[in-house]
Amino acid sequence: MRHSLYALSVTFLLAACASQGQKSADIEQRDLFDQQQAQRQQAAKAQDAEKQAKIAREQEELKRQLEEQQRRQQAQGDQAIVKPLPGAGTGGSQLKGDAWSQLKESGSVLAKRSIYYEFNRYDIKEEYVPVIEAHAKFLMDHNDIKVAVQGNCDDRGSREYNLALGQRRADSVKRSMVLLGVGDKMIETVSFGAEKPVALGQDEDSWAKNRRADIVYPNEPQ
Amino acid sequence: MPNSNLPNYPSFMLRLIQRHRLFGWFLAVALACMAASGPVAAGPIAIEIIGGGANQIPITVVPFAGEERFTQRMAQIISADLQRSGLFRLGSVGSVRPLPVEPADINYRYWKNEGTETMVIGAVTEKTDGHVEVQFRLMDITKPSQLLGFSYTVSVPQLRNTAHKIADQIYEKLTGDVGVFATKICYVTKADNRFELQVADADGFNSDFILAHREPIISPQWSPDGTHIAYVSFERRKPIVFVHNLLDGTRTVLANYEGSNSAPTWMPDGKKLALVLTKDGTSNIYLIGADGKGLVRLTNTQAIDTEPSFSPDGKFILFTSDRAGTPQIYRMRADGQGEAERMTFDGTYNVTPRYSPDGKSFIFIHREEGRFNVALQEIATRQMQILTAGSLDQSPTYAPNGKMILYASEVKGRGILAAVSSDGRIKQRITAQSGDIREPAWGPLPNNRRKE
Repeated sequence: MRHSLYALSVTFLLAACASQGQKSADIEQRDLFDQQQAQRQQAAKAQDAEKQAKIAREQEELKRQLEEQQRRQQAQGDQAIVKPLPGAGTGGSQLKGDAWSQLKESGSVLAKRSIYYEFNRYDIKEEYVPVIEAHAKFLMDHNDIKVAVQGNCDDRGSREYNLALGQRRADSVKRSMVLLGVGDKMIETVSFGAEKPVALGQDEDSWAKNRRADIVYPNEPQ
Repeated sequence: MPNSNLPNYPSFMLRLIQRHRLFGWFLAVALACMAASGPVAAGPIAIEIIGGGANQIPITVVPFAGEERFTQRMAQIISADLQRSGLFRLGSVGSVRPLPVEPADINYRYWKNEGTETMVIGAVTEKTDGHVEVQFRLMDITKPSQLLGFSYTVSVPQLRNTAHKIADQIYEKLTGDVGVFATKICYVTKADNRFELQVADADGFNSDFILAHREPIISPQWSPDGTHIAYVSFERRKPIVFVHNLLDGTRTVLANYEGSNSAPTWMPDGKKLALVLTKDGTSNIYLIGADGKGLVRLTNTQAIDTEPSFSPDGKFILFTSDRAGTPQIYRMRADGQGEAERMTFDGTYNVTPRYSPDGKSFIFIHREEGRFNVALQEIATRQMQILTAGSLDQSPTYAPNGKMILYASEVKGRGILAAVSSDGRIKQRITAQSGDIREPAWGPLPNNRRKE
């Protein structure tokens, strides 16, 4: 009974915040779809250039971008980079209700939880930098929250190589967040390789949906 | 009746035996309907032979005297094995009766006129203690002589395996290579969100699962003595390496370190395994005792190092690494010392290396024009040959005689197993009755078994 009351209140909260009474999964699904279309158009344009680029160089570029972003934010002074302090989580539980609703806010960057990749790549494309930044900021604001990053791949090639690649995708998100100031211990990474596809087709659309890192909050109310 | 000859097995064994007889019946019907090639319905999976060797050896397998009293028909099992290899052309037994059982029964002139070159004859005799004696002879019809002659005394449930052993003897005598009909394979099936790790005879019969779970299972690998299988299971929501004891059905966690635990492969002596862990950063290759003790790190790079495969002499490890930007195959010493040598240069995606049983070549998955195919490369000459023509082939595994390669493929969105001879000429396709079938691993030769 207590549980259902809790669920009811959360649902009410969600409905109030999220202007439409959809479940979070549905919202996420639609966002993924929109994102997917945008990504496809971009991917087609960038295809030739990307073939040439070396992974190492892109990683360097990403690091530089993130550092520059960090510097810019610090210079502007509007978004302080907060280093989490050990044991500094007091008061977090009071904020938690707000925190969870903040994550689910429809149309917000935080409602986006997936980073998509090119075949056999684990460098983060520029369009997903804001997603990582938003979650990094959220985590720095609520440093008693745990987050998991799950790496996934399309199922072509080698299952074992894909498992390793999925780990690199998850680790690339974690590294970016850590570079932005999120505590190393707050982020757990895991790879599902090609074993948990969300799209089952054998076509580029399905493969693109499966080449993905998901940002998952294990304690987030559903 | 054969049932009366069954020893006192527990009832579940009887059910198991009866089920396998049913498979046998399926095969009998399928063979009766089958022309030179075509699908063979074998219970849970079906095997289709697509190609054939250039010079097939003509052979006539005469039904064994007394075999009709058993559902496991010797001549049919032997014929199916030989035919599946693609190296034999099965001759008709014609219409003249009675059929020969002993060498003295053979009318050589008649059979020579029929175009018969080699012939298998034999008999199945019930003993008083419930055992069965199987006699077989391989006869050369062109210059009348006996090439092989053996007698086996076995229990009724062993008849099928005995037929495979006879097929192995025939294969070895006529081709000069070791037969693999009496070996086992394992693979993973996925149906209705249920993953099963299954073990079956090399012809797909006698399949049974040793593990079933809602979470994925990948990368099964046989121990060199065929008594254990190491694999990766996601049952704890992350990849963990288990070792399964096939003799008693127990299993132990081999590696459950922070991050991913994957890609187990046995050292040829069976005492250690190489595997891949991410506990110290990126995917690196480690060595671990079969008891889970004595972890040693072999590679130390910031790149992906995975999919180790030992050379048959245990001195080298082939593995996949993206240290040069794209996944390629490298070779290093099995103790991890010295520089790793890059082995593949053709294309931007070469993965899943597997040493050939003679150590002279390796198979792997090669990507070209968006297709993923099984390729073979000779180590000495670096010459590469693409063996398959699917679009999404993966997880190749050598038969222990090095003549066939079993691999996972895909047809119309469905996972199937396929096999190709190492010269690329003979092809087979194996489909499950429902769902996907993937991650095959071919077990060792039976005589590799440790003496218990």
